[in-house]
Formats: sequence, C-alpha cells, structure tokens
Amino acid sequence: MRALRTAASGMAAQQTNVEVISNNIANMNTVGFKRQRAEFQDLLYHNVERMGATSSAAGTVVPTGIQIGAGVRTGSVYRITEQGTPERTGNRFDLAIDGKGYFQITLPSGETGYTRAGNLSLNGQGQMVTDDGYLLEPAITIPQDAVDVVISKTGEVQVIVQGTPEPQVVGTLQIATFFNEAGLEAIGDNLLLETAASGAATPGTPGDPGFGQLLQGYTEASNVDAVAEISALIIAQRAYEMNSKVISTADEMMAVSAQVKS
Amino acid sequence: MENAAYVGLSRQMTLRRELDVVANNIANAETTGFKVEQLLVGTEVGERARNYAVRPGVSFVLDKGLGRDYGQGALEQTSRPLDFGIEGEGAFFVVADGPDGAGGEAYTRDGAFTLDPEGRLVTGQGRPVLGDGQEIVLDPARGTPAVAADGTISQNGQPVGRLTVVRFDVLSVLEKGGDGVYRNTSNTTPVEANDARIRQGMLEASNVNPLIEITNLIEIQRAYERVTKMIENANDLSRRSVERLGKVS
Repeated sequence: MRALRTAASGMAAQQTNVEVISNNIANMNTVGFKRQRAEFQDLLYHNVERMGATSSAAGTVVPTGIQIGAGVRTGSVYRITEQGTPERTGNRFDLAIDGKGYFQITLPSGETGYTRAGNLSLNGQGQMVTDDGYLLEPAITIPQDAVDVVISKTGEVQVIVQGTPEPQVVGTLQIATFFNEAGLEAIGDNLLLETAASGAATPGTPGDPGFGQLLQGYTEASNVDAVAEISALIIAQRAYEMNSKVISTADEMMAVSAQVKS
Repeated sequence: MENAAYVGLSRQMTLRRELDVVANNIANAETTGFKVEQLLVGTEVGERARNYAVRPGVSFVLDKGLGRDYGQGALEQTSRPLDFGIEGEGAFFVVADGPDGAGGEAYTRDGAFTLDPEGRLVTGQGRPVLGDGQEIVLDPARGTPAVAADGTISQNGQPVGRLTVVRFDVLSVLEKGGDGVYRNTSNTTPVEANDARIRQGMLEASNVNPLIEITNLIEIQRAYERVTKMIENANDLSRRSVERLGKVS
C-alpha cells in the first residue's frame, strides 16, 4: 500500500520541520543568528492513467488522467537573512552590522569564515578577536596605551592615546557581501563558510553602496520571532499527527482485508 | 454468483487508490503552493460473470480521473525578499525545465526563489525563473530587489526585469512533475495572467483542508469495511448453498 509510505514521508518531513523550529528557538538569544525555514516539495508522481491517452476505439481521450503522488520531501532549509534588532551593550568592542555584510574571520585552518556576530574582544597581543579567539580580517591591533577606541560607521578604528589629543587611526574594518547569502554553509560557532552556491565574497568598506554600516556598542540580536516559531511548532505537530492517522487507517484497512473469512 | 465479490473488489481497489491520494494530500499539507487532489470515481457497466440476456448489466466501480482543486491557498508572510506568492487562481510562474532550459518550460506556484552564483533568479531546485521568456538576472551590489504587484523588479528604483505569471485556458492539460512543478501535456500555449498579483515576501500555503482530508480518511476506511463485509456475506452465502445443495438426503 502506497499510502503507508506516503504518510511516512509526511511524518519524516514534519520531523525535519520540528528540528529546524527547535534550533531556531534554541538560538533565540544567539548573537547574529538568522532563523531558518524548512521548505517542502512534493515527490514524484506515478501516472496510473496518462492524461490525453485514448480511452476507447472511438478516439475519446482521458481528460484528466490519474496521477498518484508518492508523498513529500524537504526541498531545502534556508536561512532568512532578515536584519536582527541591534541591542545596546555599551561594550566598545561590540559591533553590529546594520544592512548587508559579514565580518571576516581567520579560522585556525587558515580559511576565512564569515559571521554577523560582532561581540569582539582583544587578545593578549591587543588584536581584535572573536569569542573563540579567532582573528578579525584584516587584523587590527589596538596599542596598549590606548585609553579609548572609537569605531566609526564606515569601519575606521581610531584610538585615543593618553597625552595626545588627536585620535590616531589604527586600521579600517572590512566586511564582505555575497551574491547569494542563503548559499553560505553554517559550521557552528556563529560562523559561515563560502560555497559554490553563495558565490565569492566581495570585501568592501562598511557604508559603501551595497554594504551595511557598523554600530559600535551594539550587537545584532537573532531575528527569531518566538510567537511565529511557537505557532509553526503547533502546526508541525498537528501535521505529524494527521500523517500518523493515515498510517493507522491504512493499517486498519489492511487488517480488515486480512481477516476476511474464506 | 461471484458478481458481488467482483463488484466489491473493484470498490476496494478504488478505495485503496483514494487512500493513496488522501495520504499524499496530508503529507503535502505544509508544502508551498501544493494543490489538493481528489480521485474521481464513477460506475462502469461491465459484463457479468455469466451472461443473462434479460437482467441489466452489473455496475463496477472505476476511477475515471483525478480532480485537482486549483483554488487559491492562503498567503503567508515570510519577509524574505525572494519569496513570492501569486494572488490569482490558476496563474503560474514560468521556469525553465531541465539543465539550461533543455526541457522547455515548466510551471509552478512555489515562489520560494533564490539566487545562483551568477545572480540568476532560480527555484529551490535551481530551475531558472523566466519573465517574458527571459532569465532574470539581479545584481546583488544594487541592493534588495523590490517587486511590484505586476511583477516589475526594481533595484535602487531602477527596473531590472519582470516576473511574469501565465494561465492556461484548460487547467486539466497540466501534469504534476514533483518538486512543485507542473508540465504542459498539450500543444496549447498559456497566456499572461494580467489580473493576477505577485506579492513579495509571501509564500502561498497549500490549499489542503485538514478537516476535509481527515473526514475523507474516515469515510474511506468505513467504506472499505462495509465492502469487505459485503464480500464476506456473499462468500458466506455461496458456502452455505454449496453445503446445503451438496447434502445427500
């Protein structure tokens, strides 16, 4: 019976849906997290009777045909790169990107990772690093005698050194944009990697056309909407239950046939 | 004598097929742009197991076709700039089928599009979306595309292309191809649906009504049980007559 396998595919799809939703809810307070959405597609169709087929010797034609579908599959799970709300933290090394773009991070493997999480800090050498201690690219070193750091909207990092009234520029932050942001591969730790689907990274100065601006003292909150996620969870649960109802119905029908007295 | 069993069997076969269709509807209750289907069942007058000239023929049950409800599904807001929903029944986005459009055109209501590395607007499976027969290419450096209700795509206020939707005079020429895609099985060409509106940042939910599907499920199950009971009774009848007639008095 096809219905059993069709319903099983429906249950598997809803299971994926619940997994995606639970990951969104779990990361509700993760800095720079972008919510994901599971997108479903119908599976192949079996043509029992092809439309347009001749149905009699008189040349009549089947008007609609019979196509029976084999269920559903998860087409893609994509990231919704909607802007998250900037949240004020007051920390001068916290940066939020308002608009498009990703911070570039040098991973220990030498690859470049990309992130929206701008909760940065300094390492022992005074370099700006992520929570995991990975270097920001291009590397920016803050002198030890700096009393204050000002990062402008366009990424210019200025330090004020004691005894010198003029601020000194120590570097300019760059961010990268992608043709297809949804094609980036998430590797955990708020990091994303470039793929063939995302296209090559285009580094640029914050504030330029097509690039977002930087906000110092803010971090970008996740764009997860708790109310929307909870209602999606309820819908997924009900859809799962309906598919299991199909399985029990198909099973009972087969039992009825199997118990016919001969 | 066996007519009752054969008629019953024909109904059981169509009921199983109806169950397959309902199962597919329920499995796709959350599939973007999915259209609900129903098996159309009719009677077919067939030959009896043994031919009597006077009595009317026996009616078997046969599935004659599949009805597809192309009714509008609810539009759900996703706020993603490359999600599009069609407001207008029977209108479809046109996509190129197969690699580089080798398979001709296909049609879909699933407007969850994305960009490929060359900047072309493509479906989730990478089929290029066509507007006025042309692929739509966007420049990511020029900002988020805005799409008007008539399909005009603009970036930074400059029009860069158009997303078109088409409609068929007779929808029954369409065949489902999986992946939310429909294919044209006839020679008719679709015409542009000017009255349909394209909504950006929205996706069309399936038009499956869960209540109706669950009711169908119960009805199918009960009908199957009734028919099985009928076959059982017919069997019983023939067994008893054989027993009785075979008795030597």
